[in-house]
Formats: sequence, structure tokens, C-alpha cells
Amino acid sequence: MDRQPNSFWGGWEIGLVVLMVLLYIGGVMLNPRFFGSADAFLAILRDAARFGTMAVGMSFVIVNKDLDLSVGSTYGLVAIVFSMVFSPTVYDLGVVPAIAICVAVGMGIGLINGVLVTYLQVPSFIATLTMLFIGRGMVLALSGGKTIGYDIKAKNYDIFSIGETNALGFNNQILIFIAVAAIGAIVLARTRWGYETFATGGNALAADYAGISTKKVRIRAYMISALCATLAGLMAMAQDKTVTSQYGLGYELIIIASVIVGGASILGGRGRVIGSCLGAVLIVVIDKVLREGVPIQRVIKIGDTEMVVNAMAQLPPGAVPAFLGMILLFAVLIEPVLIRGKLLERIRARLTGKPVPPAPDIDSVAIEGTQTYGSRASARAMRVKGLASFVHRRDAAAIILMVGLWTVGFWLRPDFWGSLDNSFNLMLAFTEVGFLSIGLTFVIANGDIDLSVGAVLALSGATAAFFMKTLGADPLLAVTIAFFAGTLAGVVNGVLVTRFALPAFVATLGMFYMARGLGAWMVAGRQLSGFPEEFNLVGRKVIELLRYLGIAPESGLIHDIAAAVSVQSLIMFAIAIAAGIVLGFTPIGQMVLATGGSRRAADYSGINTNRVRFRALVFSAMCASLAGIIYIAFFRSFNPQAGQLRELDAIAAVIIGGGSIFGGYGSILGSLAGAAVIALIRALLSLQIFLSDGSSFVMPQHWVSVFIGLILIAAVLGDIWFRQNRILSVMATRLGLKRAGPEIDDD
Amino acid sequence: MINPGSSSSIAETANSSSDYIIEMRSISKAFGAVRALHNVNFNLRPGEILGLVGDNSAGKSTLMKCLTGAYQRDDGDVLVENQSTDFSNPHESRDRGIEMIYQDFALCGNMDVGQNIFLGRWPRKGFFLNRRKMYEDAYAVLQRLKVDVNSVYQKVESLSGGRQQSVAIARAISFEPKVVILDEPTANLSVMATERLLETMLELKKHNVAQVIISHRLTDIFQVGDRVMVLKRGENVGERLVADTTEHEILGIIVSGTPENAQNVETV
Repeated sequence: MDRQPNSFWGGWEIGLVVLMVLLYIGGVMLNPRFFGSADAFLAILRDAARFGTMAVGMSFVIVNKDLDLSVGSTYGLVAIVFSMVFSPTVYDLGVVPAIAICVAVGMGIGLINGVLVTYLQVPSFIATLTMLFIGRGMVLALSGGKTIGYDIKAKNYDIFSIGETNALGFNNQILIFIAVAAIGAIVLARTRWGYETFATGGNALAADYAGISTKKVRIRAYMISALCATLAGLMAMAQDKTVTSQYGLGYELIIIASVIVGGASILGGRGRVIGSCLGAVLIVVIDKVLREGVPIQRVIKIGDTEMVVNAMAQLPPGAVPAFLGMILLFAVLIEPVLIRGKLLERIRARLTGKPVPPAPDIDSVAIEGTQTYGSRASARAMRVKGLASFVHRRDAAAIILMVGLWTVGFWLRPDFWGSLDNSFNLMLAFTEVGFLSIGLTFVIANGDIDLSVGAVLALSGATAAFFMKTLGADPLLAVTIAFFAGTLAGVVNGVLVTRFALPAFVATLGMFYMARGLGAWMVAGRQLSGFPEEFNLVGRKVIELLRYLGIAPESGLIHDIAAAVSVQSLIMFAIAIAAGIVLGFTPIGQMVLATGGSRRAADYSGINTNRVRFRALVFSAMCASLAGIIYIAFFRSFNPQAGQLRELDAIAAVIIGGGSIFGGYGSILGSLAGAAVIALIRALLSLQIFLSDGSSFVMPQHWVSVFIGLILIAAVLGDIWFRQNRILSVMATRLGLKRAGPEIDDD
Repeated sequence: MINPGSSSSIAETANSSSDYIIEMRSISKAFGAVRALHNVNFNLRPGEILGLVGDNSAGKSTLMKCLTGAYQRDDGDVLVENQSTDFSNPHESRDRGIEMIYQDFALCGNMDVGQNIFLGRWPRKGFFLNRRKMYEDAYAVLQRLKVDVNSVYQKVESLSGGRQQSVAIARAISFEPKVVILDEPTANLSVMATERLLETMLELKKHNVAQVIISHRLTDIFQVGDRVMVLKRGENVGERLVADTTEHEILGIIVSGTPENAQNVETV
């Protein structure tokens, strides 16, 4: 018998080691003071130990064909929870209860993730993205943005030595990492658990038929991932003995990039733990090289004398994710383009003039079909008339909720809610979400997703601010460039999704980090303000625009309307009407719905589905860019945090408004109603409520993001289970409360 | 192998190659090391119903995909109405009147019957959709096909398999095709729905539409077919007129036929 192939490492892993060594040598040459020392080397290994531990867990999730975006916030949450339980200034409990509570938190997050994606059928990126935001909101809410430390108390406990340097001169975390990696590698490569994972990721249906409980396997992977994040969080706490709300921010990007760079496929069924760990070390080295900067010499003129000053050329804060996002996208492209697409062979053949080997036989039309589930509901909708037919509309929930929430607000604060001021503010909040959701409606109806809308908003805002403020450009030019910069992000999304066939959530996740990072880079992480006032008119009320133009009426109906309506709302409604007509009444809209309903069927029928999807992603980015330009005009300043979490609001708005996360459905009217629901919820949550005893109460801002995350999950679950699977009537039928309805068809 | 000029039992209808609407000569196709088709010949006359049978991996679907342009053949010629063609995708073959109905029907479940029949070529009035014309024409096509679908406004995914297939066929017919290829059309259908499908096929034959059924169910082919062609491991292993053969004989060819013993109907 032949020797068994090695299932722990292969050529890929060797390549990673070589690359890492080269990169480290590069780092030493650029910055010998930092990278040259043994301490620095050990520090890199120490930091990589935490990332590597998390990458071990993530490997199981990704081999399963899932994704876990919540690891960073799990890490942060565990760190906060541990500190709060342990710290003498908060609960002051012992180390054992603190660790036990942290493990329970971690397992709880893993279990919730797993149940959401398996039993409740929520797409993994949407479930874990929401979990990411909920976790981050809780981190902020629990810590109140403050630092929690327990330096002195920790001295009494030996267990904190796991985060410290041992007698041999290196950090104990490295030992933990090696142990976790070894266990993970053996479990994934040599045990039933591992084989079940590969089977689930390779072909879940076949695995199910073979008697593997794929749901259990996937939940298990999420729990392993969450527990690894918990362990990493505890390692950090043992080392730092203090915590801030920034812990684990953006870690999910590093971890996912590590696993993909380590040779796992985002399409599931392939990956090795050793590769993921090496990937983690490599990404940490890259991250360090980017963050540390290069020593340079600057010449400063003071009076007549020139002085040479040593300085560091560094990336501004927030810019590093731009590179990490790019690395993630490149890593994801390695497999389909470089290996299966035989890119190197083709380039070599072209250079040497030999015949170019053919591109792999990609069956042009046999793309995987996407299923929609909306049928039974709509068949029933045909039989009902009047009010009942309204309830069967897909956007009914949004419209009912919109009216209901407004009524609740009026009931809570009758003195304030109906006022012109409040209505104006509601309208403004609505406009921003509305802009994003108009573009997203097309993308989601196509069966794609755009996670980058908030980041594109920030990119275009930053571009406009940068050109006006730093370069002193004319407002019109700055706006044009900003619009093109945002649109370009959409073009990149579109090219990645259609030309390179990346799943939309991966491509736009990369853009999510890249666009925000580029924006932060441009403004150097600072807030920019003081734009020309004629530019700021874009974010003002109509009356101010009319006054500027010198045609404002002094009084009368037109004056009142112009004083109540803002310019941005007008722009938004104009775009909404155009987009609504295109989606609802033209062949372009039908193409979008057909592509989302069944991409294969649409392709067979001669629709260029790639073009349809490309256009939708670009349109979505255009809407986000406009929102960004208006954002800085309205606030008269740009803040690098602009548009953060807005992707959640917009996705939730579209889903509440009748869109399906699986594609094929969506209407502009519904999405706008959904956007109104989101704006109303935000307004209600920040409403000051007077209690009967005269005291007042406001929900803390940090909890609002937690709440919005919950709303998004509720909307997706409601869409999947109420709109599409009609769980209520199914349950009623099963319980015998209702006679099983007649079969719709007689065959 | 093909000897169209010779006397045969159907020589009255086929006395020269110009009678073929489709002629494929010596088609070969390999997927990497796997030889899917090897020197396969195939022909089809207007208004004829041909059953294409064979075991799994015999190359039936691959041959049809080489015809429609979904796959690119490695070698051989495809003639449509005596003109050499080189379709690079199914849209080009559709323009020449060749329609394929896929096993899963390739419909959009989220859209209604009318929208699906005109999928991708919805009638327009200027910039807008012409809904009235779309539904009227869809209704007319369904009438012509003599199938009853409750309403052209019904979402396709709420229809049963048989009705969905009717929509798929109506879609194909609305292109006024000369050739319709049905890939395993009866695989997912009930007995009643199969009967209805076979009636529909005979209706199409009256309109002089040539049809190819790829099927495992010989009974269906013997009920409506004119001719049966057998493939085995990517090669021709036999061909019979339905009138001259039995299911038993065809089964024998499927199981134990060899290219050496292959007989063309025209040379019987």
C-alpha cells in the first residue's frame, strides 16, 4: 500500500512559511530597530498566539461552508465580562466564577449563532454580522466606554501567569496556542468530528443522506469558534489586566483572512488548521509591518537653519483595515483565479508565445440555482380580497409597523411627537436610511447583498471633505469626485462578484473594511469641518436654499412647506420615485426580480444576469455615495465614524419592507416603509419618557445598536418563517386547530 | 455511417440530407481525461419525435448540450438546416429555432406564469412593460398548447410539477421553435401529468416541430416517438424506428449494444 498522504500540512503551508520569512526580513530591513530584536519577534508570536487560537476555531466554521463574523466581538465581550466580574471596582468575584461566566457567555454566543444558521435558516453572514454588532453594542454598553483594570488584585492569583513571560523567556500564550493548534489539527484531520466537518462543507445534502447530522456539526463548529474566541479573550485579560471597549475591534477580518490565506476555501470543504495558524502569524506580521511604520528623516526649516529630524512614516489610525480588507479579497481570489483558473500557466504561455491553455470549462449557464420560498403565500394572496389582500402583501408588515410605531410615539409623548421639529428630525433620519435602502433593494432583490453601504457612505463623505478642506477644491468638483470615488467602490464590488464570481457578501465585506479604511486614511483619522456654506445647503431645509437663490417667499403655503422640508428629502424622493418606476414597471426591474428568483432560469432566457447584478451593486454604491455627500453637508463636518452600523439599518429596512434575503422580492415602496420603521424605532428608543412619578428616562445610546441588531434578526426570521414558510398556519394545522387547506393543484 | 441516399423504410420522407433539420457528424467531447462523446452521429427531421436513450453517463445530455452550445464540442460538425453552425451559447441556438426544456424547468418561482413565459423578453411599451400584451399573449400561447393553467397571474412556484412543465413548454413554444429538446421531461411527473405532456408533444408534432426526448422511460417514447437512438459510453450503439422495434429490443441494445453492431435505421 502507498504511504498515506499527510493530512496536516502540504505545499501551501511551506509556501506560507517561506513568505513569512521573506516578509520578516523585509520588516527588519525597513525598521531594524523594531523588527531586529528578539523581543519584537517574541511579541509578534505572542500576539499571533491569540489570533491563531481564534483561527483554529474559525477553520472549523469555514470548512463547514459557514462564516463567523462575531469572533471579534465575542473576544471583546469576554474581556469585558471577565474584567467586570473580577475587578474589585465592579463585582469583585474570584477567578473561577469569572472564567465560568466567560465560558458560558462564549458558549451561549456560539449556540445562538449555530441555531440561527441551522434550525432557523438565517444566512450565516447575516446572522453573525448581527451578532457582531450586538456584541459590540453590549461591549460599549457594559463598559460605558470606560477602562476597567484590576492590576493589583491580579497579583494574588497564579493563573494570570498564562499571559506572562515564563522562565524560558517567552510568553506562555505561545504554549497555549501551540496546544490548541495541535488539538485542532488532530481533530480536524484525524477524527470523526473533522471528517463530519469536511463532509458537511463539501456537500451538506450528501452528508445528511449519509446520516451525519449536519445541523449538529455546524452548531458544534460555531461553538468551537466562540470558545476559541473566549480563550483568546481570557489570554488577553491574563496579559493586559485591563480592558477598553476597543478590544477585539475588527478582529473578525484578521481571523477570516488568516484562515483563507491559510488555504481554506470560502466555499467550504477544504482547509487545514496548521495552514490557518500560519496564516494568522503571517497576517499579524503584515499588520505589524503596516502599523509600525518606517523610520524616515525629515528636513525642517527653522528660520535659516535646516534641521534633520528622525520621524516615523506611519499609516493614520483606521487605515490598516483598508489593507487587511484587500488581503482578504486577494486571499479569496487565490483559489478560483490562480489555481483553478491556471492564471500562472496562462501568463507564462502568453509570454513565451506558446498556445494559451484553455480556461477551465466553466459551464456558462449551469450556475447553482437559488431557491425562493415565497410561493405558497402568494398563491393564497390571489384568493383574498379587500383588507385581507393588503395583509398578504409582502410590504404589509412594514406599513402596519410604521403606522403602529408612530402611534406609540404619539401616545408616549403627545406634547412632542407630533411637532414640526420632531417630524423634521424623523424625516432626516429616514432620509439617510432611505438612500441606502433604495440601492440595496435592487441588490437584495437580485439575491446578492451589499455589506459595504455604510463604509461607502464614509468613503464618499471623506473624499468630499478631503477635497474641499485639505485641497481647497471647488464644492462641485469635490462632490463629483466623491460621487465617483463611491461609485468606483461599487464597480469594484461588481467586478469581484460578476467577473471573479465571489459571493457578494465576501466581496462587499472586503469593501466594508477597504472603503472605511481609505476614508480614514484620507482624513488622517480626524474630523474635518468648515466647508463652503453653499455646499452645506445640500443638507439644509429647502427654504434656506431658496433664500440663497434669492427667491424665497416671505410667507404663505410655499414658505411653510419649504421651511419643513429639507433638500436631501427632496433628492431622496426623486431618486426613490425613479427607482420605484424602474423596479416595478420596466423590463429592467423584471430582470432584477428574475435574476433573484432563479439566476439559472434568467440566464437561460437570455438575461445577462451578471450585468444586472453589476448594475445593482454600482447603483447601491451610488446611493450610498450620495448619502455620504449629504451627510457631511448636513453635519457641516466629516467624522470617520460616519455611516457606521448603517448597513444594518438599511438591510433591515429592505427585509422589513418585503425583500427576501434569498432574493427575488423587494419593492421601493416597501423598503421606504421599512426605512421609516427603522427611523421611528431609533427615534422611539432615544425618546425621553416621563414616568408617572415625574422622573424621566432615556435609553442609553449604546443599547440602541443592540436593539437595532435584534430588529434585523427579527426581520430576517420573520421573512423566512412567517412570510415564506407560513409557520403559524403550519403549526395551527398540525395542532388540529385548522383543517388542512385544499391542495392548490390537483396533480 | 449515415447513408441518407439508401433505400429504407422511411426513404419516402428522407431521400436527401436536405431533409434533416439537425445533423451532427462525428461529435467528440472530453472533460479532462473523461471521454464523454466519441464520434457520435445524430440527425433529426422536421416534425419527428426522437427518443434519445441510454444508461447514465451515456452522453445523452452532453450531446444535446453540444447541440445547443451550452458545451463546446472538441471535434465534429453541427448542421442546422444544412448550414454549419458553431453556437457559443444557448442563446445563439435559440435564435436558430432550437429550444431546450430542462429537467428542473428553469423557471423563476417568484414570478407569475405570464412573466415566466416571456422571461427576459417582456413586451415593452417604450421604456415601460406592456403588461396587458404580456398576459394576453401568454394566455394565447397556453390556449394554443391546450394546457390549462388556472391563471396567468399565478406565481409559478405555487404550481405543481406538471403545470410548471406546461409553463416551461409554453415558454419554449412562444419562441416559435423548429426543434424542442426535452431533458427527462417525465422524471418528476405524475401519471396524469405524463399523459398530458405526451398529448402536448403530439400537438406540437402537428405543428411540424421536431422533438427530442431524453428519457429513461421507454414506455413514454414508444407511446409518441417515431425513432429511438441509443448511446452507450459516448458512442452510437444502435437506432430503430419505433414501428419496427420493441421495448425489449431497445433494452437489449442499451445493456449490451456495441458500436461495431450499431445499425442505422437507413441501413437496416
